[in-house]
Amino acid sequence: MQTHNGPESADDAGRQSRRRLSKRILPYAMLSPAVLVTLTIVFLPMLQTAWMSLHEYVLFRPKEFKFIGFDNFVAALQDEVFWISLKHTIIWIGVTIPGQMLLGLVTALLLNQEFRWRALARALIIIPWALPSVVIALMWVWIYDSNYGVLNDFMLRLGLVEQAVPWLADPDLALGAIILTLTWQGFPFFAVMILAGLQSIPKSYYEAASLDGASAWRQFWHITLPGISGVLVTAVLLRTIWVANSFDVIFVMTGGGPGYSTYTLPLYAFIKARTNLDFGYGSALAVLFTFLLMGLVLIYLRRTGKAVQ
Amino acid sequence: MNIIAKLGLAASVLAMSSSIASAESTVRFWYHFDNADNPMNELVESFESQNPGITIEAENIPWNSYYDTLYTSIIGGNAPDAAMVKMFAQPRLIEMGALEPIGDRIDAWADKSDVQENLFELTSAQDGSSYYLPVQYVVLYLYYRPDMFEELGLDVPKTCDEFRAAAKALTRDTDGDGRTDVYGFGLRGSKGGHDHWASLTLGRDGVSLTDGIESEAAIAGSQFVVDMFREDGSFPPSAPNDGFQEIIGGFKAGKTAMTIHHIGSANGMVEALGDKVSATTVPECGGGHWTAFGDESTAILSSAEDKDAAWKWISFLSTAGNNAKFNEATGQLPVTKTDSATWTLHPQRFVEATVDSLPFANLLPNRTETSDFVNTVWPVSMQRALTGEITAAEMNAEIAKLYGN
Repeated sequence: MQTHNGPESADDAGRQSRRRLSKRILPYAMLSPAVLVTLTIVFLPMLQTAWMSLHEYVLFRPKEFKFIGFDNFVAALQDEVFWISLKHTIIWIGVTIPGQMLLGLVTALLLNQEFRWRALARALIIIPWALPSVVIALMWVWIYDSNYGVLNDFMLRLGLVEQAVPWLADPDLALGAIILTLTWQGFPFFAVMILAGLQSIPKSYYEAASLDGASAWRQFWHITLPGISGVLVTAVLLRTIWVANSFDVIFVMTGGGPGYSTYTLPLYAFIKARTNLDFGYGSALAVLFTFLLMGLVLIYLRRTGKAVQ
Repeated sequence: MNIIAKLGLAASVLAMSSSIASAESTVRFWYHFDNADNPMNELVESFESQNPGITIEAENIPWNSYYDTLYTSIIGGNAPDAAMVKMFAQPRLIEMGALEPIGDRIDAWADKSDVQENLFELTSAQDGSSYYLPVQYVVLYLYYRPDMFEELGLDVPKTCDEFRAAAKALTRDTDGDGRTDVYGFGLRGSKGGHDHWASLTLGRDGVSLTDGIESEAAIAGSQFVVDMFREDGSFPPSAPNDGFQEIIGGFKAGKTAMTIHHIGSANGMVEALGDKVSATTVPECGGGHWTAFGDESTAILSSAEDKDAAWKWISFLSTAGNNAKFNEATGQLPVTKTDSATWTLHPQRFVEATVDSLPFANLLPNRTETSDFVNTVWPVSMQRALTGEITAAEMNAEIAKLYGN
């Protein structure tokens, strides 16, 4: 018996340790394909960008790949266009996100009411979000067109303006016009997210509040807003990152013009790299912008994290 | 024995596949056509039937990002074997080592004598060697509305002063609602519009992009353009952002009375306006005359696998008959003498304006900076000058900075 037991228990222990090992390895094995793909298509190019930003690398002089340390970053900080683009990026994020959020909030509150065709309205509201950016940009270029645009036509007919307004050709108006386009494109995302948040708030809270005599505003402030705050924080965070990085709508609508009046940092980095083929400088701009955005996201998460708690 | 048999089999398969590869070759060709009824397939079919064993993969790349795509494809190791190319890109492509010299092939080519000689000179590199084979050309001239000129009793402008006065007079309210609905000139203020500015600036005494761009005469040229917009209001308010579509669309719709473009848009204009469109040379400014020569060639890339096949294809496109077909699609002018002699695609008045413009037609400087001038420096500084953000002198200073003079 004893002689029999020895190898069996050793066998058992072996099996158990194997099981333990496989239990430990399994999560890694399951994750590794996704991690590998992410590493190759996200982190590798990121590292490459960081590496390129430390070099003088002009694409049409591929042999002159010279290490220059932080010269590109110093040049960027002394570059007038960098500061112009940064200013526009701040306006771009600072106006678009609150605009989208407010419009989304109002839309969600409306869509949360009982009315006929509600399901249809909920489906239609998603259209701007579902359209490709390039289509939206081209559509709005026509809306703003100073010769044939429907916006100018309306304003002229209503007597609001004397002459057609060149919305996209006037440096004072172009950025605002594009921000309006992007606000229109992005508000459905907020609306849908907030609507989901609204539906998770129990009806009984409102009933209890109205029994206690709370006004509609009080109910909104003390029940609705805290109820959707978690959703809002996430939605604002996601949209900030997306809006900050997106330049396709600007690129199609004005290409950054007139002059630099619709340049944002990602657009500037793109034009430097892709049109001027200066990949070193373009990469430095991209790296700088990544750090700025990361800083913004961290501050935001800290502040809102506390507020939500 | 078994192993030896297997090795033998593998070797014979390899040999077979390599012999197939040498007999069958593919030429990847990039081009850009605006024309929707693209006849490229017809040309490809006719070439392939004459050259069995060569397959042409022709790809239409959108013009707006044509060169960005071409440069990045070269660096990425995925360049086409042959491509349509313009002179302003040549210095960069040479610097990248991306072009195959084709001087010997051109000299040995039976149809060389049919191509108009000066075109080979115009498209040769700075060091005199040849990388480009001309395939079409145009010269920019002034389109105008003879009916509007007649209505106001105006003469077709010959000088910059007459041009400005005419543009001012033509800018008016025609339907009496108190709003301007016709503008004198449709300026292309965004990318690609440098030729408009250049016609009004670079002809002036002692002015060129690489020399004297900060002189009084050169600044006067830029100021002239700015004043026509800001003081006279002779361009549509959208001018700073207007591109090809806007200037051509505006002219066809009667929103502008003049604009500058080449023969490529002549047929579309006649279709829209009939006899109410004509052409003349661009005005003479500050004692000199300058207009842009619009070149288009084909080239073989140094990375091409089968350069003989690529040469066969590009020389096919510049041979009489095929060249005519090619230009029927682009609406430009053929480079072969045979096709030019029988050319009937465009109404005579536009061919005449082209021929009259040839003596003072110029290319932009054959330097690497010219790409940046065309793509970013000119459009951005022109737009800023038009919108009053910078002065004409500051605009010219930006250009001088780029060219380092």
